[in-house]
Amino acid sequence: MAKSGLGMRGRSLVGILLGAFVLIALAIVWRRTIGISQSEHLASLDARRITLGSERARLEAEIRDASSRQNLGSTVERRLGMHVPTDKQVIILPRARQ
Amino acid sequence: MKRPSRTAIVHAFFVLFAITLVARAAKVQVAEGKQWTARAKRQHFFASAMSAPRGEILDASGNTLVESREMTRVAVALPEVRDTAFVLKALHRARVDADAVHAAIARRRRWIDLPGLYNTADVASISKLNGIHLTPVLQRVYANSSGIQRIIGGLDGQGNPIGGLELSLDTLLRGDSGRVRLARDKDGRALDSPDGWTDQPKPGSTVVLTINNTLQDICERELAIAVDSLHADGGDIVVMNPHTGEILAMASNRTGRTAFANTAVTEPFEPGSTLKPFVAASLLEKGKARPTDVVNTHNGQLELDGRVINDMHKASSLSLADVIRYSSNVGIVEFGQRLTPRQKYETFRDLGFGMPLGVPLPAEASGTLREPRQWSKQSSASILMGYEIAVTPLQLVTAYAAIANGGELMEPHLVKEVRSVDGKTVYSYEPRVIRRVMSFETSRTVQRMLLAVVQEGTATKADLATFEVAGKSGTARRTSRNAGYTTGNYTASFVGLFPGNDPQYVVLVKLDSPKGGHYAGGDIAAPVTQIVLRAALSARDAALNREDLAASEKEVAQDKAVRDATASSNRSQQPPSIAVAARSEKPNPQSYDPNRNIAKRDPQETVAPYVVDLPATIKAAPPPTASRIVPDVRGMSTREAVRALHNAGFRVRLVTASATGTSPAAGSIAPPGTIVQLTRPLE
Repeated sequence: MAKSGLGMRGRSLVGILLGAFVLIALAIVWRRTIGISQSEHLASLDARRITLGSERARLEAEIRDASSRQNLGSTVERRLGMHVPTDKQVIILPRARQ
Repeated sequence: MKRPSRTAIVHAFFVLFAITLVARAAKVQVAEGKQWTARAKRQHFFASAMSAPRGEILDASGNTLVESREMTRVAVALPEVRDTAFVLKALHRARVDADAVHAAIARRRRWIDLPGLYNTADVASISKLNGIHLTPVLQRVYANSSGIQRIIGGLDGQGNPIGGLELSLDTLLRGDSGRVRLARDKDGRALDSPDGWTDQPKPGSTVVLTINNTLQDICERELAIAVDSLHADGGDIVVMNPHTGEILAMASNRTGRTAFANTAVTEPFEPGSTLKPFVAASLLEKGKARPTDVVNTHNGQLELDGRVINDMHKASSLSLADVIRYSSNVGIVEFGQRLTPRQKYETFRDLGFGMPLGVPLPAEASGTLREPRQWSKQSSASILMGYEIAVTPLQLVTAYAAIANGGELMEPHLVKEVRSVDGKTVYSYEPRVIRRVMSFETSRTVQRMLLAVVQEGTATKADLATFEVAGKSGTARRTSRNAGYTTGNYTASFVGLFPGNDPQYVVLVKLDSPKGGHYAGGDIAAPVTQIVLRAALSARDAALNREDLAASEKEVAQDKAVRDATASSNRSQQPPSIAVAARSEKPNPQSYDPNRNIAKRDPQETVAPYVVDLPATIKAAPPPTASRIVPDVRGMSTREAVRALHNAGFRVRLVTASATGTSPAAGSIAPPGTIVQLTRPLE
């Protein structure tokens, strides 16, 4: 009876150990899977950040070019009748003496 | 002997198998452990180079002229592709040009670098496909202005500099590349791993130029209009601060072979009459002549050494001042005979002609200045008229800057500052005098002569109503390939000092081979100078000190009366023999008209007797000072942060982002007026 009890405990122990091993292995696989998934997400976010940074640089350059005299000059002269003022039309305000 | 049971044999087999397995495992883990570990690491991890972000290039006010952005290059290794049709479809979905792949398949190529660069996010979907290789590439985003690109240069497809400042300042701009160790998944894709490491790249330094983008823009636009309306082959404009040698603008306009060259430093030209003031300065400096000394100008025609020298403005005699004012070739040759060939050579050599000035631009030309022993019989006279000598526009402007600043030849500067990535200034230029080329008194005398050129001489079209402009025009014949000097082929130029009495700018305008009736520098290059100056005056920030400018302003109300009185006085003093050729005032349809768009101007605006009394309580603006520290605005509200930055003298650009901060970072040193990017979270 006692021998049979020991046999049961031994098998239970092996069973528990095997179960624990499976659980730990599952946890490790799960952790790695999550890690890889997070890493992929981070990589995609990084790619997105780089793309947005590139877009920002491109758009800023386009804004600079669009607002340059080379682009705007002829348009405002033609459409709005604007012109480069003569030097007489430019008034430099003298600084008030304290 | 008892035969072992079948069960015992099976057990023994399993035991042997287990022992073998354990032994093999022990061999792999213990005996060959290090070897296999290294092999596994090689398979699971790989090191990749991380290119350093190339440094930005800013203009003097802190506006970005060039910055970098990361793009991706796509390559296809055809032997690795399992399903070509599927890959082609995926490339098409990712908006990648698949035509090149089709062509490569047809030619049975193994490796295809697809043309163009792609956004990293756009091509992320094809990164998992077998045979697709993505390489991050830093691309430079340039201001569209062609003039700026001529100065800055560019990079080739591999990111190597191929010209301009990108090439000459490459060691500063490129930074130090880093390395990263990443894990590889089963498909070979890179993964960040705790076992990896990163050696962060060190970004390149930021280079701040002396170029003022507004002035550059003005010069490029006006040059393009002038070249177009005059059907010229090209032209250059250079603007310099004569007191510091800072190059404020450098615009070139060319087509064909030199379309992308910075011809203001690479293309020397014969300057013609713009060289005469230096001959006058040399005569004055050496005590060989006074401004009032008169020579016989032979009614504008002189036969010398087998050739005839002509004047546009015929006169029987002229003073040295009038020789400059009317740009008399005969007069300058007569006066120049008082100088020995050695003295003439040394005059021009000391002004920096015939040698590079040392600006950080590749292929800077040295020009041509031959030693007297190489001169022909005619060279001695030719060089006085600006022939048989070739100078670059930058050399000529630098030499005129010496007249403007009291006689010192300044080293021209293009780089104002270099900042490391943490905002520290690692280089800041200091104005450097190369040598004194004339005394202060001589420079002022020559400056007065140049004022007369614009007021009553050959370049009245450069004159402004409210400011004095000094300058000298030049019209030089140009040579054609294998044909020598050809008729109707001229270089028209004008070098102006603005304001004439206390110059802040030296402006050179040069136009090559203008077509049509007008080709004289005073007729076509001087008006371009005038409109550049007008546009600069009306611009918000064109590197002008307006306080000094206000002090230089003419008395407008008295202007006409004074000018009339001066003119009549001059007329009465003029030798009766002067028969100045009447200047054509007829509008020429092919002539450059700076007032092209103000024909319907209100006539009342021509007089501006404005008197403005500002309240005495107004605070005086801080004087222009050296760089300041960007304040720390953490913990402040947006309004407070903007105010703090404004009070520190910076301009502010507000950007919404997750993090709060400034760029340049708090504590960085930046010159007043720099645009500080303030990032705040969305409120």
